[in-house]
Amino acid sequence: MARLHVARYLLGSALTGLWRNRTMTGGAIVTTAIMLITLAGFLAINDTLNQMVTALGRKSNLIAYVRDEARPTQVTAIIDDLRTRPGVGEVQFVSKEDALAIFESRFVDQRDILDVLQSNPLPASVELRLNDPSVVPDLAQELQTMTTVFDDVVVPLDVVEEVIGISNLARVAGSVIIIALTGVTLFVIVNTIRIAVFARRQEIEIMKLVGATDWFVRGPFVAEGAIIGGIGAGIAAIALVVLYAQAAPVVTRIVSFLPVSTDTDFVRNLAVFTLLVGLIVGSLGSYFSVRRYLSV
Amino acid sequence: MIVLEDVHKVYPNGTQALNGVSLEIPERDFAFLVGPSGAGKTTIIRLINRDETVTTGSVFVEATDVTRLRRRDVPQLRRRVGVIYQDYKLLPSLTVRQNVEFVLKATNEFDHLSDGLVEETLATVGLTRRTNHYPHQLSGGEQQRTAIARALVRRCPILVADEPTGNLDQESGWETIQLLVQLNARGTTVVIATHNRTLVDTMRRRVIEIERGRVVRDEPEGGYYG
Repeated sequence: MARLHVARYLLGSALTGLWRNRTMTGGAIVTTAIMLITLAGFLAINDTLNQMVTALGRKSNLIAYVRDEARPTQVTAIIDDLRTRPGVGEVQFVSKEDALAIFESRFVDQRDILDVLQSNPLPASVELRLNDPSVVPDLAQELQTMTTVFDDVVVPLDVVEEVIGISNLARVAGSVIIIALTGVTLFVIVNTIRIAVFARRQEIEIMKLVGATDWFVRGPFVAEGAIIGGIGAGIAAIALVVLYAQAAPVVTRIVSFLPVSTDTDFVRNLAVFTLLVGLIVGSLGSYFSVRRYLSV
Repeated sequence: MIVLEDVHKVYPNGTQALNGVSLEIPERDFAFLVGPSGAGKTTIIRLINRDETVTTGSVFVEATDVTRLRRRDVPQLRRRVGVIYQDYKLLPSLTVRQNVEFVLKATNEFDHLSDGLVEETLATVGLTRRTNHYPHQLSGGEQQRTAIARALVRRCPILVADEPTGNLDQESGWETIQLLVQLNARGTTVVIATHNRTLVDTMRRRVIEIERGRVVRDEPEGGYYG
């Protein structure tokens, strides 16, 4: 019962405070919403880039062509070793016969070329599918040194490296922007609450003098911050869900190679994350705003 | 029981407010703190409520060493010591009743909001007809009585008042003191810092005179001047 009273008091005081200060409250909510939408946008871009790197890693078949004179036991040993390496997903041996079959199926019109040669000129190969494309350069270099086994190692290095580079850059830039935006949101909420605290400093002084605990004085302000953060984040989350539902299919249609997440789980998690960030930033901002007024 | 033992207080600006004050105010006592402005009366009241801390010495309130009190325990002390100020410290946006209720809310005593305690307290201070008035609609005396009701509603065993009649005309001032006398008769320890010579001379109660941060006189039944 007492807790219910306290909760009602905290919420009532917070709502009264917010209403008294409604212009600043509105501004803070809008700012929070804009910041959180931008933040969520960067998270979505980051996710897309991460998926792109993963997808390219799956596709970036590192192919090592096996010399005809290489001993099968040597090749098998290398394949077994490669399978244990971190970042390596799938290792497949493609024999000369398999290669020929693939060639024939892909280039039906040019079978004549093989007929002219009379023998199978295609080499056997070891094809690697990688989970982590960052291991590609080192692995390629290592295989290239095995000159007695492999004739040549083919890697779409430039693309992989470029995507890793972009992804890393996006990650760093994203982190910086996320930290900056969180800072700005915190700043706006802290200042809004500071004004509210200043307007109610007499109330705070009396509360402290009659024996209110720090938490009781702080409570309504923390609730105000949480409400600002929560409403701002709620607007951001709704905007996010709507925008994502509209934009993701369009982006996928226009730039088909971009693996934009369209599953509802991703958007839901992003919305929940946005809400949590709003609530935490709002509450913490208020907590620190009111601290200096508690030393009565 | 309030005890000050060799209390010194120097403010950060270098002002020596108290210079070795020792005094004892037993339970149910009624004492006036008198002395010129700047003598240290208000400092003593602020130390009792832990609104200030001593530089050296000790302050005990009901066996609690206030000087060693942890920050988180200060609210418990303040719930036992009601302070009445010259400027009343009422919230202008709240009615008389709401000002009194505010204290119960602030001290997490919500149960008392509906058990008649507020009505009873307002009746004790004679404000039954003014419960829905805002402070600016009240006379100085009524505002001070609201402040007393606020201290009273918490059933504080100790009431300290800093110039409670300072902003009141003689009649209102007299009514306020009569109210404090009644509370004292019911068992509340009352300490009043005042400049009001007539009041002290008329009451003939305990007088502690402070001058330049020292106790220069402590009489069980004294006047404003010794």
